[in-house]
Amino acid sequence: MSSEPFPDVGRAWTIGSWEADEVTVAQVEDALLDLRRHEQWAAVRTSVLTLVAVVDDKRSADIALDVVHELGARHPSRTIVLVLDDEDEGASGRGNLDAAATVHVLERNGTAVSFEEVILRVRGKARHHLYSLIEPFTLPDLPVVVWLPSSLPSRGDPLLAAANRIVVDSRAVAESGGGGDPLGRISTLTRRLPVTDLSWTRLVAWRSLFAGLFEGGLNRPFLSGVREVVVAGNYGPRHLLGGWLLARLGLSPAIVHLESAPHASIRLTASAEGRMGRFVVERPSDERVIESRIDIDGGPSLHQSLPLQRQWPAMSLARALTDMGHDEQYQQALSGALLLRGPRTPRAPSSTLAGATER
Amino acid sequence: MANVGMTVENPLVEPTLDRVAPPAVLVVFGASGDLTSRKLMPAIERLALRRLLPSGFSVVGVARTEMTDEEFLDHTRKMVDEEHTDDDDDVQHVWDAFAGGGFRYVAGDYGSPETFVKLREVLEDLDRTRGTAGSRLYYLATPPTTFETIVRALGHAGLSRPVSEGAFVRIVIEKPYGHDQRTASELDAVVHSVFEEPQVYRIDHYLGKETVQNVLALRFANAIFEPIWNRRYVDHVQITVTESLGVGHRGGFYEQAGALRDIVQNHVMQVLALTLMEPPATFDADGIRDEKVKALRAVDMYTEDDVMKDVVRAQYQRGWVEGEEVPGYRDEEGVDPHSETETYVAMRLLVDNWRWAGVPFYVRTGKRLPKRVTEVAMQFKDVPHLPFAVSQAEGLDPDLLVLRIQPDEGITLRFGAKVPGQAFRVRSVSMDFFYGAAFLEETPEAYERLLLDALVGDPTLFIRTDEVQQAWRIVDPVLRTWDEDDVPLARYEAGSWGPHEANLLLERDGRHWRRP
Repeated sequence: MSSEPFPDVGRAWTIGSWEADEVTVAQVEDALLDLRRHEQWAAVRTSVLTLVAVVDDKRSADIALDVVHELGARHPSRTIVLVLDDEDEGASGRGNLDAAATVHVLERNGTAVSFEEVILRVRGKARHHLYSLIEPFTLPDLPVVVWLPSSLPSRGDPLLAAANRIVVDSRAVAESGGGGDPLGRISTLTRRLPVTDLSWTRLVAWRSLFAGLFEGGLNRPFLSGVREVVVAGNYGPRHLLGGWLLARLGLSPAIVHLESAPHASIRLTASAEGRMGRFVVERPSDERVIESRIDIDGGPSLHQSLPLQRQWPAMSLARALTDMGHDEQYQQALSGALLLRGPRTPRAPSSTLAGATER
Repeated sequence: MANVGMTVENPLVEPTLDRVAPPAVLVVFGASGDLTSRKLMPAIERLALRRLLPSGFSVVGVARTEMTDEEFLDHTRKMVDEEHTDDDDDVQHVWDAFAGGGFRYVAGDYGSPETFVKLREVLEDLDRTRGTAGSRLYYLATPPTTFETIVRALGHAGLSRPVSEGAFVRIVIEKPYGHDQRTASELDAVVHSVFEEPQVYRIDHYLGKETVQNVLALRFANAIFEPIWNRRYVDHVQITVTESLGVGHRGGFYEQAGALRDIVQNHVMQVLALTLMEPPATFDADGIRDEKVKALRAVDMYTEDDVMKDVVRAQYQRGWVEGEEVPGYRDEEGVDPHSETETYVAMRLLVDNWRWAGVPFYVRTGKRLPKRVTEVAMQFKDVPHLPFAVSQAEGLDPDLLVLRIQPDEGITLRFGAKVPGQAFRVRSVSMDFFYGAAFLEETPEAYERLLLDALVGDPTLFIRTDEVQQAWRIVDPVLRTWDEDDVPLARYEAGSWGPHEANLLLERDGRHWRRP
């Protein structure tokens, strides 16, 4: 998917691969062992997790695999990509499972790390029992992270029982037409296990830059006198950023407005000691630049324009995998986002929502 | 205490993200020097690229060389360009931001009040135009002889205290902090007459290294190591800090310093303190530094006799290192041909507390040794009874835990295992863990990390005044004895693991240096 190289990965190469159709789990396990056994490079495995990606078709699988290859350089892991095939087993009389396994080695600063990936194409009823395919492949005692690039699990999905953490992407879900109210469904999910939302991860630059505008104490009083906040962006990002400010600053939803826009921006107007101040963080165009502005009546007007590193899917995922606990800030942003997205069912409205607008 | 002037917490700051520095001016003394162009400015560029410097963040360079603001910016940019490999477009953004008045230069003598009047004007101008609000971080990247002059001058010029509420004034002081215990105390007295201790950030870049901090993680995030981290299980500890390089162009400086001052007093003492210390109750600045001081205080003080017996000093002679023939120390540029300066120190330290009583700590450091290594090796006691015939356990050494700090950062555990086959033979095997392989995250360079800490106001990884004092207390008797007595200076061939005398230091106790 990305032709530019992932920054600073060192040198990676494939030391062995194996592929077969209509196989059993035991055959795949044997193949993996075999691949490792004959390679001195693979003698020592350093892993920090098992990553499970679940995708719907070959194309998504390729995209996911590209990301995983780049990721392997940062989080050595065993990766299992489950490709759910629409074809029924009865239709062709074929077995449930095709598999491919590959062992890679990455060398960096003279240290070699090996990591493996297993691609399982799943047909028929087995598609509804994915956990039974994952368990045999998970590395002992290490966290299992399930990554759904553009979907959300259903409520009772047994896949969740095998996972320690689930990685989703609220914006991608919304864009793929993945069904009403992704944020609401993610919120339900967070009650069950820690969730990483890559839409939130991608907003790190906006969050840290905006928080930075109030470092040093001088501008901090403005945070207690917020008059209006306008957050623009896509579905997902704008709700999360708005929700974050709502929750962290204890604002009324009535003064937080959301707008649809191709790039995210935050505009906050506030007063302190009789002076008005405007604080802005935005990405003005497709160019990889993020800008911040501070404009205080009678004070200096400051503007900063900074490079916005390319958003590598693997980078977001890598960052997401660094923290394994519940993300307090995301939880709060999500709760705030739910207030801002407005009522979903006719019975839900409450008085606090009255002023929340999406304009 | 540390966050002088920080009143209310910023509700938008997320604990898991790096904090953006508050608006401030970084004032670098020694702006045209080597440290500034090789370490400080690349760190500033990296911080800006990571969007951790706020708009308005400004740099003021102070040095004797005459330069305009533009020349200083161009000069710095040129020097930094030689150091890095980052994306050019991105880098351009960073420097464009500084070009808008954020890079200033004050030429002048550190001893002249005029310099500081000019500095003051520039700072006030930056406060007005760039919103830096009176916050300053002074950085002494100058030779140690100028420290007192600059500190006093900052005091006289009224530049040592925050001028407005919410502002901070801090000073970062490079090593060496003093030349011995007395001069360190004198320097401290001057520093404290101008700055409060919480404003003072004494830097030892070793503490900014990821793996040095990993010593704390290994020890205090794991329950399995702590129970054996004491005299009941540990036979002895070897701390090794070696370099394959010689003195290079630093000959003149090194003549005045020597290995004891250059490495032992700071880097080795820091690594020693982290190895010895008790678990801190809290992981904040004082929680950790209190325990480090307590640990160093327990290190036995040398008498003159001890120094003669337990400390070896040596100097390298011509030899071969990494396939190249290299000159002896006395033939290096800027070195006295009759120099008695040590380039190698080995010492045996004892620690008087319940945890470590009777466990010798062997320390060695030197230049022109076969390779660059920093590690702490903890050798455990032998099994009380070996139920095998001696012949069955010929390749068996005592268990060993090595904390490797550089270059291949990680831990190694050596233990006995059966050699496969019919016969029952036991040999030592080792199990390696590489930090770099488990998490291949980009780790910030030491200076980058420490500079951000100083700007944000986190002194955890800086050296407190009592730590400096304790480190000098341990080293001082050695310096005195060497000065006063005719202590022999041993010789070692460049590219060897040090002088024979250092081997005797361990052989006397029935032990030997491990080969790192």
